[in-house]
Amino acid sequence: MILSGLALGAVLGFALQRGRFCVTGAFRDIWLVRQSRWLTAFLVTIAVQSVGIFALDAAGVISLGAETFPWLAAILGGLIFGFAIVYAGGCATGTYYRAGEGLVGSWIALAGYALSAAIMKHGPGAPIVEGLRGVTAPVGTVHDLLGVSPWVLVAVLVVGVGAATWHHLRKDAARTKPVQLPAKRKGLARLLFERPWNAFATAVVIGIIGIVAFPLSYAAGRESGLGITTPSADIVAFLVTGDVELVDWGVMLVLGILVGSFIAAKASGEYRMRVPDAQTVLRSAGGGLLMGLGAAIAGGCTIGNAMVGSASFTLQGWVSFAAMLLGTGIAVRFVFGARSRATASAPAKTPVGV
Amino acid sequence: MTVHILETEGQVCPFPLVEAKRAISEIASGDELRIDFDCTQATDTLPRWAADEGYPVTAFDRVGDASWTITVQKP
Repeated sequence: MILSGLALGAVLGFALQRGRFCVTGAFRDIWLVRQSRWLTAFLVTIAVQSVGIFALDAAGVISLGAETFPWLAAILGGLIFGFAIVYAGGCATGTYYRAGEGLVGSWIALAGYALSAAIMKHGPGAPIVEGLRGVTAPVGTVHDLLGVSPWVLVAVLVVGVGAATWHHLRKDAARTKPVQLPAKRKGLARLLFERPWNAFATAVVIGIIGIVAFPLSYAAGRESGLGITTPSADIVAFLVTGDVELVDWGVMLVLGILVGSFIAAKASGEYRMRVPDAQTVLRSAGGGLLMGLGAAIAGGCTIGNAMVGSASFTLQGWVSFAAMLLGTGIAVRFVFGARSRATASAPAKTPVGV
Repeated sequence: MTVHILETEGQVCPFPLVEAKRAISEIASGDELRIDFDCTQATDTLPRWAADEGYPVTAFDRVGDASWTITVQKP
């Protein structure tokens, strides 16, 4: 049964790679170029998933909800995670799919992320995470807090995100079409391995994958949806303990992302081992380690918290989503703020070759 | 007219775009900027940037596995 995780992970990895679906990029664009197109696409994955999973919940197939809200951990972990993904060059899923494209920097970030998540979940860091996550408020979800049906929230989300998407689609239609690479393939092969995927279409595909993940994972005895951090920590824990109980549907899912993105990249001529320079190695390693720390504290990454948590309207999901976005903003100031200031003060230098 | 070459291979996104924006601000009107890159995401962001800024794209192609080149003209 856990093999369905591998298959769904492969589909997810394929969609992430072909769609260039990078949540870090979506968060970063808000601060760096003041554009919300990719963040809107990310919100589409949340809205689509929200409709599907509350329907599954109503049908009794799955069970959503949260009893408490670990507010301190959600804020602190979210800030750390959001900050770290800028240095790592991708969030958890982004790092998995770029690793499949052959980016050695992402392999390093991935190793750091899985290691520190394991330290914080299974190792000496566990009491710290438990302590932070023990600071809770007694209400776990937005609908319990407001005393309304979750469907009210789903409706508000769908209408709001629908309007934002409409705005961006109209803007896209009005602007000059970007030049495309010369077409070399036809039909299905072109659609799958060549043609750029529309951001919002990719978002709908990923939202549907997020819905399907729930019943498949439940069937394999793991009662949750898409998740990246716990499975990544479990891989490390399994490798050092040999405890096969740790190899569950989630572990198969994250391995599947690697497989799927590798297939997508290889088949479209986008796979190549790319070795980074020393500065990128340091950034990837540091960013990866911090990312695992932040995700373990927050109780999830951009997928587990910001996407699945928000779709199920947990307070942890939405609050850590906001904290991550803020953390990304802080890191953007550090990484790109200094860079643009340096450029502004020295416009005469000519590192451009002729 | 001169073609300026910006090599960004090995740089992850968004650095190729950040560098391209800086480089084009430094070249003369009518000159071309050729950006060589190997960050997959930039196959989306660089042509979109050129289109939004109204820079004509004179060349855009693959040069090998996960390697691309795009040339934009500064109007």
